[in-house]
Amino acid sequence: MAIKQNLRTMKWAAWLGWQMESNWADPFLFIVYSVAKPIAGSLILVVMYTIIAQLGGDTDPALFSFMYIGNAFFMYVMLLLWHVTWVIHDDREHFQTMRYIYIAPFNYFIYILGRTISNIVITTFGVIITLVFGVFVLGVDIPLGAINWPLFVIVMVIGLIGIMAFGLALAGISFITAKHSMGMNEGIGGIFYLFCGVIFPVSVLPGWGIAFAKILPTTYWLDMIRRTMGVGAGVDPALAGVSMTSSLLILCISTVAISIFAVLIFKLGDYIARSKGLIDMTTAY
Amino acid sequence: MIFEDYEKPTWLRMNLRAVVGRAYPRIIGANREPSWVFFETFLPILAVSAYVYFYTAMNAPDQFIGYVIIGGAMTAYWMNVLWSMAAQWFWEKEMGNLELFLIAPISRMAILGGMALGGMFTSTVRALSTMIAGILLFGVAFSLHDPLMFIGIFVFTMLALYGMGMMFASLYMLWGREAWHMSNLLTEPIYLASGFYFPIKGFVHILGQPGFWVAAGASIIPITLGLDAMRQVLYPAEVDGFLPLWVELLALVLLTGIFLILAKLSLEHMEKVAKREGRLTMRWQ
Amino acid sequence: MTKYAVELKDLCRTFKTRAVKGTRKKQLVTALDGVDLRIKEGELFGLLGPNGAGKTTIIKILSTLLFPTSGEAKVLGYDVMKESHKIRKVINMVSGGESSGYGLLTVDENLWMFTQFYGMPGKVARKRIDALLRIMELEEKRNVKVRTLSTGMRQKTNMIRGFMTDPSVIFLDEPTLGLDVNAARMIRKFIKNWIRAKPERTVLLTTHYMMEADELCDRVAIINEGKVLACDTPENLKRLVAQESTLKLEIRLVKDIRAFENIKGVKHFTYDHNINAGLTKLKFILDDDAIVSDIVSAVPKSGSKIVSVEKVEPTLEDVFVTLVGRGLVNDI
Repeated sequence: MAIKQNLRTMKWAAWLGWQMESNWADPFLFIVYSVAKPIAGSLILVVMYTIIAQLGGDTDPALFSFMYIGNAFFMYVMLLLWHVTWVIHDDREHFQTMRYIYIAPFNYFIYILGRTISNIVITTFGVIITLVFGVFVLGVDIPLGAINWPLFVIVMVIGLIGIMAFGLALAGISFITAKHSMGMNEGIGGIFYLFCGVIFPVSVLPGWGIAFAKILPTTYWLDMIRRTMGVGAGVDPALAGVSMTSSLLILCISTVAISIFAVLIFKLGDYIARSKGLIDMTTAY
Repeated sequence: MIFEDYEKPTWLRMNLRAVVGRAYPRIIGANREPSWVFFETFLPILAVSAYVYFYTAMNAPDQFIGYVIIGGAMTAYWMNVLWSMAAQWFWEKEMGNLELFLIAPISRMAILGGMALGGMFTSTVRALSTMIAGILLFGVAFSLHDPLMFIGIFVFTMLALYGMGMMFASLYMLWGREAWHMSNLLTEPIYLASGFYFPIKGFVHILGQPGFWVAAGASIIPITLGLDAMRQVLYPAEVDGFLPLWVELLALVLLTGIFLILAKLSLEHMEKVAKREGRLTMRWQ
Repeated sequence: MTKYAVELKDLCRTFKTRAVKGTRKKQLVTALDGVDLRIKEGELFGLLGPNGAGKTTIIKILSTLLFPTSGEAKVLGYDVMKESHKIRKVINMVSGGESSGYGLLTVDENLWMFTQFYGMPGKVARKRIDALLRIMELEEKRNVKVRTLSTGMRQKTNMIRGFMTDPSVIFLDEPTLGLDVNAARMIRKFIKNWIRAKPERTVLLTTHYMMEADELCDRVAIINEGKVLACDTPENLKRLVAQESTLKLEIRLVKDIRAFENIKGVKHFTYDHNINAGLTKLKFILDDDAIVSDIVSAVPKSGSKIVSVEKVEPTLEDVFVTLVGRGLVNDI
């Protein structure tokens, strides 16, 4: 019964998110979120790379593919984390419906997950379009025949669970923090952008940065994505010694650990918000 | 109850008071929710650092790290224009404040100016923290030979930029979420077009003559020329500027005039249209 | 010549709604349909009507937030279409059930911010805020963040915001909506005192509460589906539905009621003896209130004494039901 109720909540929340933020039936929204933003984001790096290549820098096509693929898949991290914070602040301060949603007899936790599902769908379009653009326009080498599809799908699913777990932790924090324009939304993703080997090899980071990178599941997720796609091999010496099986194992363990941690943070944020009466606060200024 | 009367202020004084009045909650609000320090100083440095390491991974010349830091610092102002001024109009509408602002006998530009001024406090803290991080973490060295020129460029970039932001705000008179999506569209694509992380002359090197026109087109956005001019002032020996410095300053002065006039006209026009269509204070659009 | 604070001539406003799913046709909704109203300077004028009657639309037009589709609207002689900037200097508006300003600011800070939008010098603003906080009994809450206030306190803050600029014309849109009896009473008292203090002040009030309109307003317009159905003083409006009035008397028990039977001007007379209580109840339907004294003087003639007299008056509710065809309660 509870499962049925939760599934219904998730379905309804996904529909709501779709209506509010995504909705591919609206060509403008499709262009904004699935074409313009992802492609522009990738082109920034492409231009940076090309300028340095022209100046005779240490550029290598493998690094280009490494960067391009990493950046494309990082969209999941950036947009999901961004979205979760946004949902809380939007419901709480903008529509001021938080109190009604919160007291409804469904799990708010499930509601947040549901709202992110529509975001995963729209991000997937953005990722696919970016990859297609990379292959056909920029000559990014993705050997379609060499992709290990079953492993790719498994890694994708585990990775998305990990990202959603981070999102939930962030939702817990959003309960008790004020809305500061876009600060938190854009900022949190920066941690992963810097430390998870998204656009440059982890080995470039200082020693403490490499150590930190190695405890983040997203580092292994992106590495595994590249490996299953056969792209960017050998670019990152910091992770070169880790075998595929070890990587997958670390990814699984760290995802479980992060998920437990996220649930605890979410519950703690929820508890503090209720204790201090912050659930329906308005902090916009 | 009879109030003691007072000498009615001049139009200018009244609007200046309105600017201060609206700036007040921005500054006080930020300080009353100190979590902004973390979100607006520490987090933005992370994403900027990622671009720094991307250049490092390619062994790019040192000045490119400085270019990224300058661009990263200036994103604070662009975000402030997009989200804390233009999109804030939408937020105010939803909170029920917009109608109270609009029935007051003041210019709409004074309200927006107040938001801009108040928002500049946190933006400047963010920009400075990025610059300081650049100097301390990455050893960036700027050579400020012409401080007057730098101040001139900064001031006119800001005036033109905020004029442009006021123009965007006028869209929110008529639209709600649609304009919000528009603001979303103007993040990554503008980071690309305006050369936040690379000098825009790069377009010319990569694309040749069409690249010149891309950069020229992007120069309509004041931050494009502002960034290029700042890089020219801070790296006089190394940077390959898009246009001569004095031309860029002159263009910024012109853009300031154009955008402030356009902002006034568009605010008036959009307000009229919104009042005709009954959408000025319509919520949940 | 009478100076009008508000003039509405054949005022119309329609709204286009988004196309209904499955059709491309946009629907046209009429919010105001030829409204004619004149509110004199110094009047406390009430607009009574169910939800969607057009009351808020009128206020939005007058407060320069909305253009009429056709017709004319003026505030203190200034046209809402052409002279918005002049109107804004002399008006203010308070809506019930809404909070204004920023929850993070204190009551004091929020109010100060709004004075700055009217260019008020600091000292003047301070004095006015102090005085109004005192009247509204909010002095203790002046340094409390607005987001922590109760609904009643928020509405009082909202009222202070509207009145502190000393507007010549103030629009009050359901100012006591959702308030408890004490808070609502305080606000009504404040409005009454406000308008009495200076004869050129005008208040346009919309309300759901009949008693509020009856108690406060010099004149009331009843509006429904964008049309003004009646506009007059509450007394005259009540007379619209009751040309005749009812008088009820309780007297010591009498056997002979002939003294009451042929009084001139009595349209209808009924009586009822309550032997256990030792009372006789009399009910007269009168053509004219002037004959009340004839009835009262007939009591001693009948050998009895008056225990109680009650003149049953029609209420605005009766007027509303008669004109609109339904009561307001159904709409709330």
